[in-house]
Amino acid sequence: MKIPHFGRRALLFFASLLFALYVLAPIGWLVSSSFQSEAEITSVPPHWIPEEPTFENFATIFTAKDKVVTYENRKEGDTATGGFIPSTAKNLLPSMWNSLVVAVSVVILNLLVSVPAAYALAKIRFIGRDSSIYFMLTTRVIPDIALVVPFFLFVQQLGLLDSKLSLIITYLAITVPFSTFILTGYFESLPDDLDKAARVDGCSRFQTLTLVYLPLALPSLVAVVLFTFLTSWNEFLLALMFTQTLASQTMPIVVASFTSDFNISFSFINAAGVLAIVPPVVVAIMFERYIVSGLTAGAVKG
Amino acid sequence: MSNKSKGLRRLIGTPVSAYDQKSAMLFLAPMMVILTAVAVFPILYSFWISLFDLKLTRPHRAPFVWFDNYVHIFQDQMFWDSVGRSTSFTLMSVTAIMLIAMLMALLLNEDFRGRRILSAILLIPWAIPYVANGLMWKWIYDSGYGALNGLLFQLGLIDKYLVMLGDVDKTMLLITNSFVWKEVPLATILLLVTLKSIRADLYSAAKVDGANVWQRFIHITLPALTPGFALVMIYETMMAIRHFDLFFILTEGGPAEASHVVAWQVYVETFRKLAFGTGAALAYIMAIVTFTLAFFIIRSTSRKL
Amino acid sequence: MRNLWTEGSNRRDFLKMTASASVAGSGLLSLPGHAQAAPLNFYTWSAAVDTVKSHLGAFEAKTGIKVNYNNAPWAQYRDTMVTKFVGKAPLDVLWVSDSWLPEWADAGWLAPINNFPELMKYNAEADDFSTQSMQYKGKQYGLSYYTDYMAFFYDEEKLKKAGIKEPPTTWDELVQQSLKIKAAGISEYPMMLPMARESWLIEFLTAMVYSNGGGFTDASGAAIMSDPKKGAVQALQWIVDAVNKYKIISPACVETGELNGLKSFSSGNHAFALLSRYRIRTLNDPKQSQIAGRVKQALMPAGVGGSHATVGWMRFHGMSAQAAADKTRAANAAKLIEWFGGKADGQYRFQKMLFTDIGSGFAVKGLFKDPEVQASYAKYSDMAMFEKQQQFARKKDVITRWFGEWDEINGSAWQSAVIGKITPADALKKSAQAWNDLRKQS
Repeated sequence: MKIPHFGRRALLFFASLLFALYVLAPIGWLVSSSFQSEAEITSVPPHWIPEEPTFENFATIFTAKDKVVTYENRKEGDTATGGFIPSTAKNLLPSMWNSLVVAVSVVILNLLVSVPAAYALAKIRFIGRDSSIYFMLTTRVIPDIALVVPFFLFVQQLGLLDSKLSLIITYLAITVPFSTFILTGYFESLPDDLDKAARVDGCSRFQTLTLVYLPLALPSLVAVVLFTFLTSWNEFLLALMFTQTLASQTMPIVVASFTSDFNISFSFINAAGVLAIVPPVVVAIMFERYIVSGLTAGAVKG
Repeated sequence: MSNKSKGLRRLIGTPVSAYDQKSAMLFLAPMMVILTAVAVFPILYSFWISLFDLKLTRPHRAPFVWFDNYVHIFQDQMFWDSVGRSTSFTLMSVTAIMLIAMLMALLLNEDFRGRRILSAILLIPWAIPYVANGLMWKWIYDSGYGALNGLLFQLGLIDKYLVMLGDVDKTMLLITNSFVWKEVPLATILLLVTLKSIRADLYSAAKVDGANVWQRFIHITLPALTPGFALVMIYETMMAIRHFDLFFILTEGGPAEASHVVAWQVYVETFRKLAFGTGAALAYIMAIVTFTLAFFIIRSTSRKL
Repeated sequence: MRNLWTEGSNRRDFLKMTASASVAGSGLLSLPGHAQAAPLNFYTWSAAVDTVKSHLGAFEAKTGIKVNYNNAPWAQYRDTMVTKFVGKAPLDVLWVSDSWLPEWADAGWLAPINNFPELMKYNAEADDFSTQSMQYKGKQYGLSYYTDYMAFFYDEEKLKKAGIKEPPTTWDELVQQSLKIKAAGISEYPMMLPMARESWLIEFLTAMVYSNGGGFTDASGAAIMSDPKKGAVQALQWIVDAVNKYKIISPACVETGELNGLKSFSSGNHAFALLSRYRIRTLNDPKQSQIAGRVKQALMPAGVGGSHATVGWMRFHGMSAQAAADKTRAANAAKLIEWFGGKADGQYRFQKMLFTDIGSGFAVKGLFKDPEVQASYAKYSDMAMFEKQQQFARKKDVITRWFGEWDEINGSAWQSAVIGKITPADALKKSAQAWNDLRKQS
């Protein structure tokens, strides 16, 4: 875009500011409130910067230790012994680990499944191509609420209740269709000549895929990684139904459990929310350079 | 060889090579296996259930009623009202998402300092778990001490706190805003990826020809973005039609049915009334509508996909 | 005995345990005579988790019966349990809310405990409305551990500031006092009444209806809610006027749930509130409330021709039908139910712990006289008032198999009236119509 240099800079700056504000305003409030005490959080007008900041919420999450609960050491909902931090606070970090394991597994498996499928749909002429696409679409048009019970029965038949494997398989089925869509769209925009050239050079279809197209498809691969990771990370309904104990409970379940103890602490939930954002953002930062700087399909001259 | 002529070739019906067919089957196999094994059973099961008058509170009598459930749904005024709400929600959300995402993607496509930070920030709304997101917005929108009220008040735009979610005129708009906010990052990423695939030399050539910024945008960027738009539209439409979480956390369909959309109705039928037959039938109606929409979007916006 | 919950516990062992529980539960292996072999599956919502765990530890130590304890968030508890029931997941003992009893009993998911005399004997020491709430079609389905009612609270200081000496005894008096408080600039909306769509709504509405001298249904189960002389119309009219005419209740009440209402009242926005009685503990806790120490409970104001009646609810431990079908499982489940819902080691330990830990109510009449209980309550409220109002508590009269469906329609109707879409009379007519239709269909 070639507008006068200064004008361009100003425009970009202004736009970035707007953009950042739109995204960060609610988050800013989330972070700020996680450092406030429960009484302060209900101030009118709100305290944008905490006037009495407290680290209590975060401290509890990190220091909560698992222990054998006896009559003597049970945590009471009493100011003298620990206030109103929910007793499931100590489950947050272990559940985040579960979420991480599940999400990473789903990402890897997803790539293994979607990439070949997308390549075939984009670059190979074969019978059943269109129907395959519509088939993929069909598996995703039913709302999740209606799928809860049948999925539950399915998982139960397999004896996989309360295991991370059930989540991995289910999330895989949920994310594959759309990942394939994304990749197919991107592959199609890459020139066919590369395909021809590779074939002329004696490559099999598989080699063409891995050696020629994959490196060029990096931005879309990253998009798929992010999409799959975040979908698995955030999924709540099915995880709720399939998991029972900490062996497989993921982070959204534990965060939800904070809302139902007799005494609720909004500032604590916000603190949990802040922590829950961290891993995906880390993943995003690791991968975003591949999207933003991006490789253009400059492999073909002219 | 351009993509267009290849599409033309398909219509003419050149025979498919055996090697190609076999490779394609092989490449598609893992996906097909996963989807068939995991996703097909629930879909068939749901359809089967929708043909019965199944109420869990009356389990001993579940007659097979063919398409009666569907007929009853179509005769219910509540259903049509919900359809209206779902439709307006979907239209508003998808439009807003596409607009905002496009602007953001265009911005991120430019090369400037701080772009990296910006793109990392972008992903934060996407990263928040649904429950935390719902509660955060419920808090922000609160009529008694919410941040939105506080902000408007301090900016002098209002002189006393307004009723937010409790006001039937505002409810859907507020929910839409929360939904859009959370969906924009994904849409932006998808559009950005598509933008990245536009060859830079197309722009250079156009500049040489004397095209200005606006003309380059209209004639190069927009057409090339079409597959991206299609993708985002399909995905976001599907997400908006079936979205349930925010309706559950923010308003539970209220106040007085103001936010009672079809997705919420499915939940009510299935889990509140324990009328599994009706719930499944509703879900199927939603599924068919969603599929049809996606089908048309695909058909009308792309040559191949 | 190894506590299953320690960090170092062997994950594989745990999975094995769950797997064997599932297998045992699905009846593939029958284990006659091995009374302690299969662990019990115990489900609750995520409240007082530590208290439950501590009590469970003692149970396991005493009886040697292992228990798999699971909990789900309250907001999703019912949906989770429905899915588990439909999917026939292994379940033995679970927490049940009085509102769901007819549904779950008719669906065949819960088993009555009438043939467990060791459990039935506890009824003698419990409040009637609590025991009745656990009964359906002549059978009883569990033992209560938590019983409470809707209470009326006021902020003493705000009243003093406005020159009011005593809290109101009727709803009309409340209006007058509120107008005074509002005029003095002390509070914009002196009365806090949550009216959001959620599971609590029916409790608030029923309290209003009962105190206005009526009910939703009569003794035979027919709808009387649309009868202008039977309380409901009067109650709804009062609320509508309070919001729109006198402006003493905020129009945002339709988005305020019980929890938000609690937060709002505790930040000092209101002078009067209708809230669950156990909330008094939070309200008078300086760490959680800005009006700590000033909140008092008063008897529910009466409507014209009404009384100080209020609604009571309860939660109980139920036995799943699957457990009841197997003799050993049933026996073990009964032991667990007794431990939690009855006496443990000769005392009502769980109810007492819950009360001292989180201040939740109980049905056992004897506990009111317990010195520890009294001392604990004296720290933040008045025991005499607690007991007195409980005597006026009645169980909800709308709990039936079709309650879930009717609740949606009724809640929506009341909200529509409050926001002015329809008149109270029409709202209740709609509600009554729905009730009668559903009743006929079932």
